[in-house]
Amino acid sequence: MKLILPPGVSAARFAEALTAFAGVVGKQWVLATDEDRDTYIDAYAPGEEASHAPSAAVAPADVAQIQGILKVANQFNIPLWPISRGKNFGYGGASPRLPGTVILDLGRMDRIIEVNEAQGYCIVEPGVGFFDMYDHLQKNKIALQLGTPGNGWGSVMGNALERGFSPAGDHSNNICGLEIVLANGEIVRTGMGAMGNGKAWPLFKHGFGPSWDQMIVQSNFAIVTKMCLWMKPEDEAAITIDIKLDKPGELEWFTQAATPLRLKGVLDGLVRLTSYQSSATVPTLRSEWYTGPGSIPDDVIEKMKTRLNVGWWNGTVRLAGYSEVCEANLKIVQAQFAKFTRQEFPVKRTPGSLRAGPSTYPLQMTNWYGGRGGHIGFSPAMPADARLVQQQFERTRRRYQEFGLDYSGTFYNDGRSVTNVNLILYGRDDPDMKRRVRQLFMALVADAKQLGYGEYRTHLSYMDDVAASFDFNNHALRTLNERVKDALDPNGVLAPGRNGIWPVAYRDRRGKL
Amino acid sequence: MTGSRNWKLQWICAALGLVGYAAQAAGDSQDVLISRGKAAFTHRCAMCHREGQTGTFILARRLGKEKSLLEQRPDLQPAYVRQVVRAGLVNMPRLSRVEMPDTDLDAVIAYLVSPKGSP
Repeated sequence: MKLILPPGVSAARFAEALTAFAGVVGKQWVLATDEDRDTYIDAYAPGEEASHAPSAAVAPADVAQIQGILKVANQFNIPLWPISRGKNFGYGGASPRLPGTVILDLGRMDRIIEVNEAQGYCIVEPGVGFFDMYDHLQKNKIALQLGTPGNGWGSVMGNALERGFSPAGDHSNNICGLEIVLANGEIVRTGMGAMGNGKAWPLFKHGFGPSWDQMIVQSNFAIVTKMCLWMKPEDEAAITIDIKLDKPGELEWFTQAATPLRLKGVLDGLVRLTSYQSSATVPTLRSEWYTGPGSIPDDVIEKMKTRLNVGWWNGTVRLAGYSEVCEANLKIVQAQFAKFTRQEFPVKRTPGSLRAGPSTYPLQMTNWYGGRGGHIGFSPAMPADARLVQQQFERTRRRYQEFGLDYSGTFYNDGRSVTNVNLILYGRDDPDMKRRVRQLFMALVADAKQLGYGEYRTHLSYMDDVAASFDFNNHALRTLNERVKDALDPNGVLAPGRNGIWPVAYRDRRGKL
Repeated sequence: MTGSRNWKLQWICAALGLVGYAAQAAGDSQDVLISRGKAAFTHRCAMCHREGQTGTFILARRLGKEKSLLEQRPDLQPAYVRQVVRAGLVNMPRLSRVEMPDTDLDAVIAYLVSPKGSP
């Protein structure tokens, strides 16, 4: 990628800034060739790669170097985009929101500082990946487990800061204390870590006064250099119930049955139900099923269900903990389901935890159309109301059909809310398909806004659109966020535009790609 | 860089008449490099490129099962491996010099192009 300079910075001034960065981290850790820039481009970009092209990357080894980088960035007005490992696929990968931003690659800071089995937590730096943590637990025989997202290639910290989740739930809920560096270089520890000798930093979430951990999640107020994260102790036993529902309309009764079980804590983790297509996108190509125009038709869907031995909806209900409690809860779950269906679901008992190592296996779905593919997700949070969930599915599927794309939806039920992850797959070399993807996405944003459902996380190219839908009292929350942003980061050097939060220096870039 | 060091070591040994030692030293260095490459492959590549993982699966689809496991391929060339790592290929994302430092990439290449059956 050819150089795109940061807004308002001349080529000469930019070169000076790179030299100053090199003075902080060493020349080899300032990455500014065309090839270097390419390596930070969103691998699955749904639009033009240049829309989110970085100008360079700089990779510090420690907190002191981050402070040095911030000093340079403020001096030269260079915007920085912190990444942990840059594997935020489907949401922009390692790319920045604003073209010309310098990537602050924290991947070299990859220490597992502590894993405490007795008290169930870890303290990690940004570069620690799920594979690293898994290997560490295995090697040291530590009886703790960590929820792992579908793409296990990424950073434990980065995923939690994005509110990534897995069947174990929203990973940001497990954050218990951060070390952050503010735009002026000041180091702050949150929660109990704010005490110079705080002993309960990774143990008690809130400390004294306002809680800042969630202020940092999905924001651009600071750079996170250490995270304390709760981990779940190994289970004595686990039971899984495989759910396979034949008809699209069965989402409703299942949601009605499962919601109170999750709300009352009978079920362990989120209750997931996903449409037939996710069983096809990984092991097969679309062309094996259908090569005609528009969405895959119903008769082909029936063939897919038969050949893949899956239902229209598929999922797993999980019970985990002490064996006797699991067995007792299993009876409760089966009695609850029997109120709605005569269908019996296979039950599998596992000694110990449902421990599966991290994997990149699901990334194969990007190959669905053959050739160079990509994916984004539209994922609104909505009430765990069975009728509303069924309507949400039907309306969303009609939208996919309207724009000639293949529906792929998952509903994660947490008892009170349901997060509806709608996967949109596309071929990157098909301009017409990419245009329809954008049209579909914008239609879904508008539908959700009208219904009062908001996205929990989105791709760089849609951050402003989604942020705009949070509009109570004339976008008062956005105004508040930007007031905080300007106070903490007056030059706007940290991640301008992240999640729709624009510093005053770049506020005119809102909505522009 | 490592290759250059090997060459210099061999030249010095040869100049001193230590031909046997030079051969041994070069062999050891190459073995060390390949061994380091295997470790780097395990750390940086194996999550997609060993049995049952996504890269292996997609390669099997594209090139056939016999060419799907990189560690068993006899046909990989250094320039090609370097190009794929830095430029990506089809759906494989590019790896930066932070994700895969040049020194690690050199070692991975040495490992992948080494005669099969190496450590």
